[in-house]
Amino acid sequence: MNAEEIQAIFFAECEESLVAAEQGLAACKAGTQDADTVNAVFRGVHSIKGGAGAFGYIALQGFTHTFETLLSDVRDGTVAITEPLVDLMLRGLDTLSDHVNAARGTGEEPDDASLQAEMTAAMAANAGAQPAPAPAAEVIAAAPAVEEVASSDDSDGFDFDFDAMLDDITGAIGSPAESAESDPDEDKGWQFKVRPHAGAMRNGSEPLLMLRELMELGGTCTDCDVDSIPPLDTLDPGVGYLGWTFTFPADVTEAAAREIFDFVGEECGLAVGESTPLPPVQLPAPRATAAASVAAPAAPAEPVPAPSVAAPVAAPRAEAIPQAPAPTAAAPTSAAQQAAPPAPPAPGQSIRIELGKLDKLIDAVGELVIAQAMMAQRLAGDGLAATEELALLEGLTRDIQESAMAIRAQPIGSVFSRVPRILRELTSTTGKHVRLEVSGESTELDKTVIERLGEPLTHLIRNAVDHGIESAEERIASGKSAEGTLTLSAEHRSGRILIRIGDDGRGINRERVLAKAIEKGLVAPDAQLSKDEIDLLIFAPGFSTAQAISNISGRGVGMDVVRQNVKDLGGRITIESEPGSGTTFTLTLPLTLAISDGMVVNVGDQTLVVPLANVVESLRPEPEEVQGLGASRAMINVRGRFIPVVPLHEAVGALNPVEKPEEGVLIVVETEGAGRAALLVDAICDQRQVVIKSLDTHYRSVEGVAGATILGDGRVALIVDVDSLVSRTLAGQSLAEAA
Amino acid sequence: MSIPTRILTVDDSPSMRALLNHALTTQGFDVSQAEDGIAALDWLALNEVDVVITDINMPRLDGFGLIEKLREGSRHRDRPILVLTTESSDEKKARARAAGATGWIVKPFDPAKLVAAVRRVAH
Repeated sequence: MNAEEIQAIFFAECEESLVAAEQGLAACKAGTQDADTVNAVFRGVHSIKGGAGAFGYIALQGFTHTFETLLSDVRDGTVAITEPLVDLMLRGLDTLSDHVNAARGTGEEPDDASLQAEMTAAMAANAGAQPAPAPAAEVIAAAPAVEEVASSDDSDGFDFDFDAMLDDITGAIGSPAESAESDPDEDKGWQFKVRPHAGAMRNGSEPLLMLRELMELGGTCTDCDVDSIPPLDTLDPGVGYLGWTFTFPADVTEAAAREIFDFVGEECGLAVGESTPLPPVQLPAPRATAAASVAAPAAPAEPVPAPSVAAPVAAPRAEAIPQAPAPTAAAPTSAAQQAAPPAPPAPGQSIRIELGKLDKLIDAVGELVIAQAMMAQRLAGDGLAATEELALLEGLTRDIQESAMAIRAQPIGSVFSRVPRILRELTSTTGKHVRLEVSGESTELDKTVIERLGEPLTHLIRNAVDHGIESAEERIASGKSAEGTLTLSAEHRSGRILIRIGDDGRGINRERVLAKAIEKGLVAPDAQLSKDEIDLLIFAPGFSTAQAISNISGRGVGMDVVRQNVKDLGGRITIESEPGSGTTFTLTLPLTLAISDGMVVNVGDQTLVVPLANVVESLRPEPEEVQGLGASRAMINVRGRFIPVVPLHEAVGALNPVEKPEEGVLIVVETEGAGRAALLVDAICDQRQVVIKSLDTHYRSVEGVAGATILGDGRVALIVDVDSLVSRTLAGQSLAEAA
Repeated sequence: MSIPTRILTVDDSPSMRALLNHALTTQGFDVSQAEDGIAALDWLALNEVDVVITDINMPRLDGFGLIEKLREGSRHRDRPILVLTTESSDEKKARARAAGATGWIVKPFDPAKLVAAVRRVAH
C-alpha cells in the first residue's frame, strides 16, 4: 500500500466523518444534545484532524484543531449548547468540508480566519463561567489510597542471595566503572543520573529497557547506587531503591537522554551534572514509619505524585473521558451514570472492498442468472419444466442476485445528508425561511446511482427554494406560515426507487410557463397543451422563467440537465404541481444500473431490447392513422398528434422485417433530443429484466446501441440507445430529403 | 530480530490504521489491526501480542476503556500499551499514564518516532 492509496482512504474517511458530523449536528439542532451525539460530531472532526496532520494538510489541520477544541469544550460541558453555537458549528462543518476539498485538490482553500476567531470567542465567552477541572490533581489525590494495598503484599522470608542478584543487576548495565574512570570527563562528557521510582514499573513500563536505551545512545554506566537498599525484612519489591549514574560523551544532548524517560517522566528521578546528587529514593508514604531509618530525609524532597504500584485506573477514568453532561438538565445524581460510558448502538461491522472486485462478482452473478435461464429454457424444451431442482436453483439464483446487488447498495442518506448544507446556503442568499423534512434516508440503492444522484437532486432543491417557495411576506400574505417546508423522501416501490422533492410554495405558474415557451419558440402560439404538458415544458432546453436571474438557479440551464441526468440513470422525472400549494418532483430510478427493465422485440431476423424507461406506449396502427411523408418518411397520428415513425430495421440492417407500420407494432418512445417517435418493430416478445453488458469493454462503442444482453435462450440481443438512434435516424432522413 | 515483535493497533480511522500498518510493517513488525476497543478485546481473546497501540476516541469502547479492561486481568497487566494522542500537553500525558498507558505517540506521528516508541516499551 503506497502513500496515495492511504491518502485515498483518508479522503473516503473524511466524507464519512463529515456525514457523521453533519448528522450529529442536525440531531443537536433538532434537540438531541446528549453526550453520544456531541461525541459523534467530535469524533468526526477529530478523525479528520488526525489524518490531516499525518498527510501534512496544514490549513485543514489548523482549522480542525480549533474546531475540535471547541467541540471538546462542548463535550466537556464547559461551553453550553445554544442555538447560535449549533449554527456556528454547522458553519464550521461547511468550511471544514471546503477545507477537505481544497486538500484533495478539488476546491479553493476557504478563508476561515473570521470563523476560527468566532470559535475561539465562543470558547472564551464560556470559559470563565465554568472552569475546566484540573484532572491531574485528582490523580494525585487518588493515588495514595491504592498504595496501601499495593505495598501491603510485602512478604518476609526471602531465601535467595540478594547481594549476588544486585551484582548481577549492576554488572549487567554496561561495562564496569573503570573505563569511565580512566577517562574522567576530559572530553567534556557529562553525567546523567537516573533513579526509577516505584511508578516507573507500572503500566507495563520496564526501566531496564530505558537503561539499555541510554547505553545505545552512547552512555556508560559508571555507578550504581545501592546505598538505599533496606534490610531484607523491610524491603518492598515495588519500590525503586537503585540509582544509576551514566556518563555521556559531549556530543549526546541532554534532551536525547531525557526523551528516553518521556513516558515515565515524573516516575523517574533524573539529574544532570556531576555535582547534582542522584535523586533520592521515594518511599510510599503509608509505610514511611517502617522505612524511616533507611531514607528519612528523602521522602519530602520531591513533590511528585506518590507512586502507586497498582494503577488507580478506575478512579481517574471517570475524569479522563469526560462524558459531556446534557447541559440543560443534568442532575448531579446522574454523574455516576455519566462516568460509565453508555454503550452506543453498535454500528454494523463493515469491511472495505475494492469496487472492481465487487463489480466482478456482480458480473458473474449476471452470468449465473443467464445460465440459469438458459437451462430452464432447455429443460422446458425437453418437457422437464416441472423439475423440482430447477425451482430450487431458480430460488437460489434469485437470492444470490439480490444479495450481490445489496452489497453495492448504500443508503440514500449519504446524499440526503448534503441537503442541509445546500439549504443553509440557499436560505442565507435568498433570505427565505425553509424547514427541511427528510424521510426514508435508509432506503438503499446502487452506489453508482447514488453517486450520480447528487447533481440533479441539488438542482431540484435549488429550484424549489428559488422558484417554488415564496418569500416570508408573500407566504404570510397568502395565508401560509412564514417558514416554507421542503420535503425529501425516498422509498422502494416495485423494484424501483421513488425520490420525491416537494415544496409547499406557489406551484408552477402555468400561464407564465406557456407564455415563456411560446416566446422562446418552444411551442406553437396556438398549441393546446394539457396541464401536465405545460409542466413538462420547464424541462425543455434553454427554458427559464425567473424574472430576475438569481445567482442560484434561473440561468436557463439546469432543469433540462436534471432530466438528462435522471434519464442517464435509466429513470424518469414527473411533476405534480398545484398552484398556491406547491410542487413535487418525483424521480423514479432503477435500483441498479447493471440490470434494467427492457422490452424484447423482434425486427426481421434480429432480437433487440428497448429500455422500458423510454417507452411511452405501444400500439398497432390502423392503415388510415399512418400518413406518408415524402418518399421514405411516415408519420403516425396518435390521438391527434403526429409522431414520426422510425423503422428500427433500417437502423440495424435486419433481414426480412415488417416494413409497413400497419403490419407491425409501433412503440412510442420519449427521447431527449427529438421528442417522441414511434419505433416500428415486427412484434413484442417479452418484457423482462435484462443484465446489461457494456459493448465498450468487449468490442467498442457503437452509436445507437446502449449495450448488449444475453437472453434466456443464450442469444445475444442489442439494447437500443433510443435517444441517439432516433436523433440520428430523423436527422439522416432530413439530409436525405435535402439532397 | 528473529521473531518479530507482534503489535496490535486499534484505531477506528481506516487511514490511521493504514498509516500505522505501513510504518510498522516496513520496520519488520508483525502488525494486526482492530477498529475499536471491542474488536481489540475480541482479537486479544484469541491471539497473543507484544505491544498494543490504541487510539483514544473510538466508538463502542474507547482507548481508556480498552486499557482498563486489559489491566484488569493478569494476562495484560504488564503489557506495554501505547496510546495515540493528538495532544502533547502534560495534562494529556498524565491522563494517559493515569489511565494505565505505558506511553504515548503524538499524532501526527513521525514513523521513526513511532518505531522508537515501540522499541522503548517492547520487552
